[in-house]
Amino acid sequence: MDELTREFLIESQEGLDRMERCLTDLEERPGDTALLAEIFRSVHTIKGTTGFLGFKRLEKLAHSGENLLGLLREGKAEATADVITGLLQLLDGLRCILKTVEASGTEGDGADAELIGRLEELQQPAQAVSAANRKANARKAEKNADSALMSATPLQAPAVAAQVEVKPEQVTPEPAKEAVAHPPAGADEGRVQGTSTAESTLRVDVSLLNRMMNLVGELVLTRNQVLQATAGDPNMTLLSRRLDMVTADLRESVMKARMQPVSNVFSKMPRIVRDLSHTLGRRVRLQMEGQETELDKSLLEAIKDPLTHAVRNSLDHGIEPPDVREAAGKDPEGMLRLRAVQEGSHVIIEVADDGAGMSVERIRNKAIERGLLTAERASLLSERELLQLVFLPGFSTASAVTNVSGRGVGMDVVRTNVEKIGGKVELDSRFGKGTTMRLRIPLTLAIIPALIVRCAEQSYALPQAALSELVHVPESNSNSAIEWIDNAPLYRLRGKLLPLVFLDGMLNPAAGRNAGSARSCFIAVLDADGRRFGLAVDGLNDPEEIVVKPLSAALKGIGLYSGATVLGNGELALILDPGSIAMKAGVTMNADEDVVATSDTETLLDETDPEFLVVEICGRRAGVQVSEVLRIEQVPVSRVEYIGYRAVLNFDGQILPVEDSGNLLGAAEGNPEAQIVVVICREGNRHVGIAVSQVLDVARGADIFEAGTHARAVGVVNLKERVTSVVDLGSVAKLPVDMQTDAGEWNQMAEAVQ
Amino acid sequence: MSAVKEKKKQSEQSTETLIELCSVRVDKGLFGVPISHILEIVGDARPQPVPLAPQFVGGLVHYRGDVLTTVSMRQLLGLPQQEELPDILVLESSQGAFGLLVDSVCEVLKVPSTDHEPNPSTLDERRRELFAGTYKLKDGLLVMLDPERLDPMRLGAAQAA
Repeated sequence: MDELTREFLIESQEGLDRMERCLTDLEERPGDTALLAEIFRSVHTIKGTTGFLGFKRLEKLAHSGENLLGLLREGKAEATADVITGLLQLLDGLRCILKTVEASGTEGDGADAELIGRLEELQQPAQAVSAANRKANARKAEKNADSALMSATPLQAPAVAAQVEVKPEQVTPEPAKEAVAHPPAGADEGRVQGTSTAESTLRVDVSLLNRMMNLVGELVLTRNQVLQATAGDPNMTLLSRRLDMVTADLRESVMKARMQPVSNVFSKMPRIVRDLSHTLGRRVRLQMEGQETELDKSLLEAIKDPLTHAVRNSLDHGIEPPDVREAAGKDPEGMLRLRAVQEGSHVIIEVADDGAGMSVERIRNKAIERGLLTAERASLLSERELLQLVFLPGFSTASAVTNVSGRGVGMDVVRTNVEKIGGKVELDSRFGKGTTMRLRIPLTLAIIPALIVRCAEQSYALPQAALSELVHVPESNSNSAIEWIDNAPLYRLRGKLLPLVFLDGMLNPAAGRNAGSARSCFIAVLDADGRRFGLAVDGLNDPEEIVVKPLSAALKGIGLYSGATVLGNGELALILDPGSIAMKAGVTMNADEDVVATSDTETLLDETDPEFLVVEICGRRAGVQVSEVLRIEQVPVSRVEYIGYRAVLNFDGQILPVEDSGNLLGAAEGNPEAQIVVVICREGNRHVGIAVSQVLDVARGADIFEAGTHARAVGVVNLKERVTSVVDLGSVAKLPVDMQTDAGEWNQMAEAVQ
Repeated sequence: MSAVKEKKKQSEQSTETLIELCSVRVDKGLFGVPISHILEIVGDARPQPVPLAPQFVGGLVHYRGDVLTTVSMRQLLGLPQQEELPDILVLESSQGAFGLLVDSVCEVLKVPSTDHEPNPSTLDERRRELFAGTYKLKDGLLVMLDPERLDPMRLGAAQAA
């Protein structure tokens, strides 16, 4: 296929997408001339180019559509539902031919006569045809066109063709001529508008972007090495700092270049909703928010199917038919809301309906019936926990589930697809009120946050998405903390047994561990596809944003690695795949564990409120914003050192100031065995530790207003209905540092504080 | 890389029968790789081992933003691992790039194509699959290696079969 045709295909595809959007809008605002002009322009451009490229079939079809649109544009016809249906069919017809062109390079030979006939028939209202006649014609024509679209069986074709032969005579050529005469003006307008956007944008091959991403990754690495090599040279400091900044900017720009607005996927939804609600006899209003939210192109592709599935589910099983809704005292028109919003390094996509919701009771019964849960166990579960059951593969097969609650068909597929790209699915449903499904998608696929773990002298990257918590088992009590049943190691995590997998044993079966070998280790509690287990590793390094590189096919067969990456220090690290590790180790997924895993998720408060870690310091409750918390450490008091009166902790040569407002260290003095809990937080560019008595919970906090005013109280927050003070990280005094090495940042911070 | 190809083309045109080889040493043996397939030579590399990988995989190396799988010549020949760091030839095959770990990279030789002879029939089957004939040099034999046959994907598939 030559360059010109390819260009044409891309352009037409975009034009048709635009047209689809406009058509569904047009249904709501039939008189909108701007919309009509836009649709006309799309079809006209296709017609123009096809004539030039010699695609006769496309040209003919586009031409007949253009005539109808011309009438609409001049106000000689009305954009009735029939007309819009006809235009949508035209759209499908054009798409279908374009697809053939893309696949084979030729238009193929199909019969468009019926569709063209239908479009010409729709032009009739322009003449003084009686309303009744028009309706009848339209209805007949719709039937014809429908069958034409379904499958143009040769038997039907002649009959329709005969009809078509008669119709054109009825249409006076005049309006058609006018319509043809007008296009140049319209096209010029379009071109003028088109060039302004065309000049500021550029089409770039995705593979080129991928390559740029690779090269930027390489540059980041080289920069790190340059920074290390020139650290001692004061002449180079300025230069390397500049290199550092430019590289960071460049990386961000390249990432941005891969971003596309969510509207690319959302724009398909109005059509799906329109068609489905017609077939199902529902009345649905679609509301879309946050279409400008951006997401990596490959991720956008990946969520298209799950999202479509969710929308179908909402229409099929969520929103009730109008009469049922009215009987229930609801607006006969159902509401489907699509919302996209960025939250930190994730994009949340919500599909919410105000339909029937799910009956928790019926889910419970079904789960027991299917043997997924015991009756006693089921009676203990909360509503929220029960709702998660619909994601279980056993639950979502067959039509039986449709009878249970309405939902559930293919829900596990939705979850699998979303989890494949490192996302999460949450579900919330109120019986009789509606259902909300929330997809949590990472911003990019190419770069993921990962924790670097050490095992057998090598580094491995563990994706943060699967990581729920970390536990340190010191050598002194590793024998008692890790318990064994035969060859199966277990750890008691808050009173529950967690199956353990030793990474070194898994990677090197010959050097497997068994009971009795005492070694300090870290347990990474992982949650992979509903399988929860602890992965024991030798050590932890800092978390890093890693660039995922694919592995050669020869290594994919091992299955434990999902890729490789280059770390900041130049070392290579394999990326562990928690799902495969769980599978290989035989960690099973069962309803019970699944529920445990999901029950930790926060209750349904306003999602926009920040989350706080609730801690207790000497009997007082305090909150620390979760987004600032890096990790929580339990350390023996003996490890705390002092610079003058300042308590500090030494982590691998990095000094961390410890804020001890409750004088916990003083209280523990004289007891070498005592342990303290330190919450390590980010504050500006530095890290600070807060000594606490214990960590209580995580909760979303709401602002508190001073009585009688709208002034927000500072430093306190409403956590679990209790007024809780927020730890002011900024007030933790700075440590004396070498002004030479970090002067820039330091001054900046000093200014900020002042 | 293209420069290398250019050069090769030129040399082919001027002296039709001369073939450029990069000679490498593995243990006591001398091997040759056609220079047109070599993307880069990396000295004293430290490949990252991959636990549970097939035997012939010598680990991973970082090469221009990509992570390459390497094939250990010593492993393929059933030789014990050596203490010193290996050299890596980054080779291009039809399946993509990969690394070949050898003891050391020697000089580039020009040999007349008429000096080529196929694998001797007495060679064991395993080696017969890896080698692509020999060149008779003045002071010994040089065994030809074919990047296509050493590609980790192909080796992996062969092992699986």
